[in-house]
Amino acid sequence: MDEPALIHNAQHGDLNAFNSLVLTYQDIVFNTALRILGDEDLAADASQNAFISAFRSLNSYRGGSFRAWLLRTVTNACYDELRRKKRRPTTPLEPETGEGEDIETPRWLIDPNPTTEDQLDQVELEHAIQHCLENLPTDFRAVVVLADIQGLDYGEVAMAVRTPIGTVKSRLARARLRLRECLQGFRELLPSAFRLEEERQL
Amino acid sequence: MTTPSFRDVEQLSAYLDGRLSQVEKTRLETRLQADPTLEALLGDLRHARSILRRTPKHSVPRNFTISPRMAGIRPPVPRLVPLFSWASAVAAFLFIITLGGTLVGQISSGTAAPMLASAPMTSQAYGLGGGLATDATMSALTDNTLYTPTPETFVLMAPQATSSIGTRSIAPLPVPMSAKKPVKTWLFIWPGLAVLLFGSALLIRWLTLLAYRRRINKK
Repeated sequence: MDEPALIHNAQHGDLNAFNSLVLTYQDIVFNTALRILGDEDLAADASQNAFISAFRSLNSYRGGSFRAWLLRTVTNACYDELRRKKRRPTTPLEPETGEGEDIETPRWLIDPNPTTEDQLDQVELEHAIQHCLENLPTDFRAVVVLADIQGLDYGEVAMAVRTPIGTVKSRLARARLRLRECLQGFRELLPSAFRLEEERQL
Repeated sequence: MTTPSFRDVEQLSAYLDGRLSQVEKTRLETRLQADPTLEALLGDLRHARSILRRTPKHSVPRNFTISPRMAGIRPPVPRLVPLFSWASAVAAFLFIITLGGTLVGQISSGTAAPMLASAPMTSQAYGLGGGLATDATMSALTDNTLYTPTPETFVLMAPQATSSIGTRSIAPLPVPMSAKKPVKTWLFIWPGLAVLLFGSALLIRWLTLLAYRRRINKK
């Protein structure tokens, strides 16, 4: 069954049709939540809440990109989660050094299984990106995640974050500028493949 | 060579995404050729974007499909369920009314009982020259469905042993039990009916739920 038919059936209460849509979009929804929240468990909760909320408000969908409409729901769920987190901050499980500073990668968190160099590169890259993303204001983070990580066009991003295209353009430029500065700090940590790519482009 | 403004950054970002008009694009490309700072900034932005685009994708920890309960979908309720529930409530109400009536009856008969207990003495007082208490009178009394002792009854019930005309003596009459029997029966019928109707409503609901779940799982 094609997507418009599934959406139509789901709007008439067909849960199986909606679950087919869930299976199609759950990867992008979960990864978006993961990049905005930076935590797998929170991202899973936000994704589940987003799908439940989407089913309940499915009649408010009036055409256009269903992916963008769905991502708007998950973005809202992430904003709610971030607000909740801000109200009730939790203490990280990171141990402290003698001077009271956090040890970011304690010995008991290191994976004992040996990994290949590529896997290590990927892990380093991901940590660097996530660190830089978390330093961005939430609105900028959502825009850059949707546009650069999930590959949505400006129109879809505008629909997902409910802002005009001009604002999306501006936020994306600011976010990229900040990310550029942040990633420069990780230049040595970034995988060699990326450094070579950069050199080629220059 | 000038320090790029935010407007320049915005234009470079849109240029990377192919969102500039032909005129804006040509103008920016001319500036890029003449300004190495601007070109370096474009390279940095492109680099940042390419890193973001290669962010590793995680696989979902579980499927996020939703169940009817999560979606807030309630199984259909057969029409008989509310009907039986209401009937059960009515039966319970009638039970309360009957119970209340019985209690009031018992209280009023409780006030009459001392009068009956004192009947022999009273009847003895009235018995001298009192009226006749014959079998016919007694049968007429016991035939009444509701028995309410009155002073006249006591007179009629007076033992004949003290009477000069008396033929035989009559023991004081107990309160006829047959008069309370219908009330007691309803006392059992109403709650029984209420439980039966409520149980039926629950059973129907449970069977419907079972059939609904089977249908959902089949799909």
